[in-house]
This record gives sequence, structure tokens and C-alpha cells, in this order.
Amino acid sequence: MLAQFKLGKSTVFYLFAAPFALLTIVMGLWPIALSIQTSFTDSYTALSPDPVYVGLSNYIKIFNDPVFLKSAWLTLRYTLIAVLLNLTIALFYAMFLSSSVLSRGAWLFKLCCFLPVVTPDVAGFIVWKWMYSSDFGAINAMLNAIGLPDFGGVSSVQTATIAILIAEMWYHVGFYIVIFLANFAMLDKSLDEAAMMDNAGFWRKFYKVTLPQLRPAITINMIYALIQFLKTFTVVVVITKGGPGTTTNFISYYAYRQFDQAQYGTATAMATVLFAVIMVLASGLYWYSQRRDWR
Amino acid sequence: MTRSLPIRIGAYTLATVVSIFFVFPYLWMLSASFKDTDSILTAPLQLIPETFNFDAYRDIAVMSGIPLSTYIWNSVWITFASTVFTLLTTGFGAYAIYRAPNLPGFGLLRVGFLLVIMYPYMLLVLPVYLVMFQLGLLGTMTGIILFLSVGPIQFFLFEQFFRSIPSEVIEAAQMDKASEAKILLRIVAPMARPVVMTVALITILLNWAQWFPILVISRSTDTYTLPVALLSLNSELGVNFQGIMALATLTTLPVVVIYLMTQKYVIEGMISGAVKG
Repeated sequence: MLAQFKLGKSTVFYLFAAPFALLTIVMGLWPIALSIQTSFTDSYTALSPDPVYVGLSNYIKIFNDPVFLKSAWLTLRYTLIAVLLNLTIALFYAMFLSSSVLSRGAWLFKLCCFLPVVTPDVAGFIVWKWMYSSDFGAINAMLNAIGLPDFGGVSSVQTATIAILIAEMWYHVGFYIVIFLANFAMLDKSLDEAAMMDNAGFWRKFYKVTLPQLRPAITINMIYALIQFLKTFTVVVVITKGGPGTTTNFISYYAYRQFDQAQYGTATAMATVLFAVIMVLASGLYWYSQRRDWR
Repeated sequence: MTRSLPIRIGAYTLATVVSIFFVFPYLWMLSASFKDTDSILTAPLQLIPETFNFDAYRDIAVMSGIPLSTYIWNSVWITFASTVFTLLTTGFGAYAIYRAPNLPGFGLLRVGFLLVIMYPYMLLVLPVYLVMFQLGLLGTMTGIILFLSVGPIQFFLFEQFFRSIPSEVIEAAQMDKASEAKILLRIVAPMARPVVMTVALITILLNWAQWFPILVISRSTDTYTLPVALLSLNSELGVNFQGIMALATLTTLPVVVIYLMTQKYVIEGMISGAVKG
């Protein structure tokens, strides 16, 4: 019976796309719209049937909140350090893994570095939390074994940021390494040989020959890493809870805490600010890379 | 190219040390889950316990009044259902947009989806609480599964695959007056088998690891999955260190096994998803 019923071509495609569209709207666009709407309402009435709109006052409030400003600064600083650290290490490690020195076994090293990427982040970070522990932890035991002093880990203000930088690097860097490896596999070998003929030194060759060819991987990794570290959240929930003090109180975590304390208006205002920053950065980088490609 | 032996030894040593950095936490976690408290305190670096102690696994057999098997079942069911649902929605969605990109609304849909995946995920989860409340899905498996089905990279993997199909293949079928159902089932579906496999694998790994939306949408521990149970065990007072390591092992083991068996597809899939997105 259904077979006799001839559907127009566009109807078929609308039907195919309908579940995807419905899911994107209900589970994505609607909550985003709701979040932006809530950011303009008074927190105490935000969930009531007729919320009181207060204009930009939540935004004014958060930009006058010293904790938020500090949190924003900490997030930016952390993101900058984490992106540079992860991408530099990933770049050189990928170069090392794809060099001819490691003719055999490179696949095994690649396998190891990508393993944390697919591991549930909660489990990975919980293990790191305990490895930093001063009683049970492996890290201080290891440092002591080779005669080094204790590492303060996550309980000291001086080292907490470093501790989560390392844990997050363990979790994320494999992804960046693998992206770089894919790019290294596509490099033009003849340019390398030409540079060898010219007797170009390592750094000169790296800068003039290798780096320009790595632009696709650098762009992708840069966009991913920026978004990744601006959103830093799980590691804070699991390991530091924003502390000690407010050392690791990054924006995502602070917004979440505000939401948890029913400060819906300010929490969603923070979310909207972070969203705007990510959008501008990601589309700026994307536009920049596209423009460079055309030339 | 041949290099001198000392350089090669140095290179392999370096690569091994770096690889140990990545793998050590797994070994340490596994060994701690079998150790007794004494040997954890006296020899935190010993990776092979002198005696294997299964107490930790017995301790976590019931958590917050819920048997471990419930958490495992929740993890398996939520992962399975949301993976199937993601495959169907993004697969058909990407196919429709690829075949008829100029239909009114499709361009908008693509942009809308891009916006959603750019929105900070953990901050999207908060208003989702309000949405779930309004839909009456708070605390339900359905709510969790529906939300997890909005995948970040699956759509792009499918879109990229469809674009790689030579347009002659579909044009030829259209010349033969093949119906859309026939084009999809006889021509596209058989070609799509590898990409479906890859997307399924990646989705399983991603959804198995999910915790925050599940925590937010849940109203009680009844709908907790392994990572969420692990997080709440970790924040309990009166810490059971070995129990936490045992539960972390159970949470990690399935993905490690899947990853080791299918690493090539997983890594390549992740790369192409990222490159496109």
C-alpha cells in the first residue's frame, strides 16, 4: 500500500533529515537559546513561568565580579600555556616518531600515546589524582627514588596548575600527535632532499621546509586545542574542585558552581561569554587558514 | 637510511620512556586494585603485587545501595542505544543534506549543528536540564540516550564519506529510473559499510566515557553509568582507594580492549572527523 503512495523527491530527503533536525533543535539549539534567554533574567525568577527580564545586568554583574575576572584570566593563561606546550611537544614527538631513526616499532609508540584519548576521562583523571597523592602516590615515590624532592601536586598553590597541565597533557596530547603524524606522512620528500643538497642546517630546514607544509595540521590542532583547553572542566571536577583556593577555578567550573547554587542568570551569562570567545577564536582561525590557502 | 647504533639506541630509549608515561597510569591502577593497604603504603611503585587481593572488587559489588551489575548494564544499554540512534540520525541526516544541499532549510540545519558542537559542552548540559524538565524526561534513560545522540564528529564523518562517492554512480542510477530507496539500499549502503563501522566504534568509545550529562539528567543513582558511579565513589567520605582503582579498572578495561582490537579504524576515524570538522 505504501509503495503505491509516491513521495516527492524532496519529501524523501526531508524525512531522512527530520530526526537529525529534531535532535539538533531539541537537544542543541533549544538549550542554547534557553541559556542565552536565561542570561537576561533575574536568577530567582529564571525558572518560574514568567521570569523577570533584567537586561544586561547579569553581564554587568559578572564583569564586576573579581572572582569571575580572576577566573577568566586563569582560564586564558592556562589555555595559552596548555596550547603551546601540547602543540610543541606533539609536533616534535610526531617528527621524531616519523623519522627514519625509528624504522620499526613506531606504530607501537603511536598506539601508546593515543590510548588515553579513548579512555574515559573521569577514570584517567582519578588515577592521576591518586598518583599525585602524598600517601599512596606513585609520583613522589618515583621522585624520591631518584633522589629528587617531593612534588606538591594538587594540594599546593604553586604546583596545582602544573599538576593538572600534566594530567591533561597525558589525556589530550596523543590526539595532536596523531594529527601531526598524518601530516608528516604527506610531506614532500623531494623538498627534504633539496634542502639536504643545500646543506641547510636542522633548524633552517625545519623552519623553511617542514613548518610551512605542516600548516593544515597546525591549524586543526590549534582550533581543537584552543576549544579543548578553554573548556577545561572534567579535570577540575575530578582532581582540584577549583582549588587550592581559586588556583584552578576556570570559567567552565565557576559557571557550573554558580548554576549549582541556583545563580542561573549569572551562570548562563558566563556560558554565553565563553561561547562568544570560542566562536570568535575558532572562526577567526578557520577564516585565517582558508585565506592563506587560497594564495 | 642507516644511522649509527648509539643514535638508534638513544631514540628507542626516548620513545620507550615517553610511552611509559602514557601507559604507566593503567598499570598502576590495575595493580593498586589488587593490592592490600600495607603494600600500597610501603611499595607504591611495585607494579606486580606479591599477593593478589580481590577484596576491592568485592567492596564495590554494591554501591549506594545499587548492585554493580546495574551500573554495568546502564553503561552498556546507554552506550548501545545512543550509538544506534546517533548512527541513524546523523547517517540519514548527512545523506539527505549531501543529496539535496539546496533544499530550503538544509543549509540552516548544517549551520545550526555547527553552532551546537561549538557550544561549550558542559555549559550546554546545564540548560539541557531545563529542557529535560519541560519534556518530562528528567531522570529517565530516554532523556540520557536522546541527549547523548547529538554526536560531535559523526555527522562530519558521514558527510565526508558521502562526498567521496563519485557523482557518476548516483547519476547512472537515476538514469535507470531507480527509486531513492533503491539508490540508498542497493548502491550507497553497501559502500557505506566501512564508514558505518568506524563511526559506530568511535561513538561507542565516546559515549562509554560520558558522565556529565548523565549526572545532570539523572535524579537518582538508578540511571548512573560506570564513570558516574566512579565519580561519586571518588567524592565519598572515607575513601576506599583500592575500590576506586577497581572501579576505574572496570570502567577502562572495555575501551582498552576495543581500542587495541580496532586501533587502526579508531585512529583514522578520529583524524578524518577532526580534519573535516
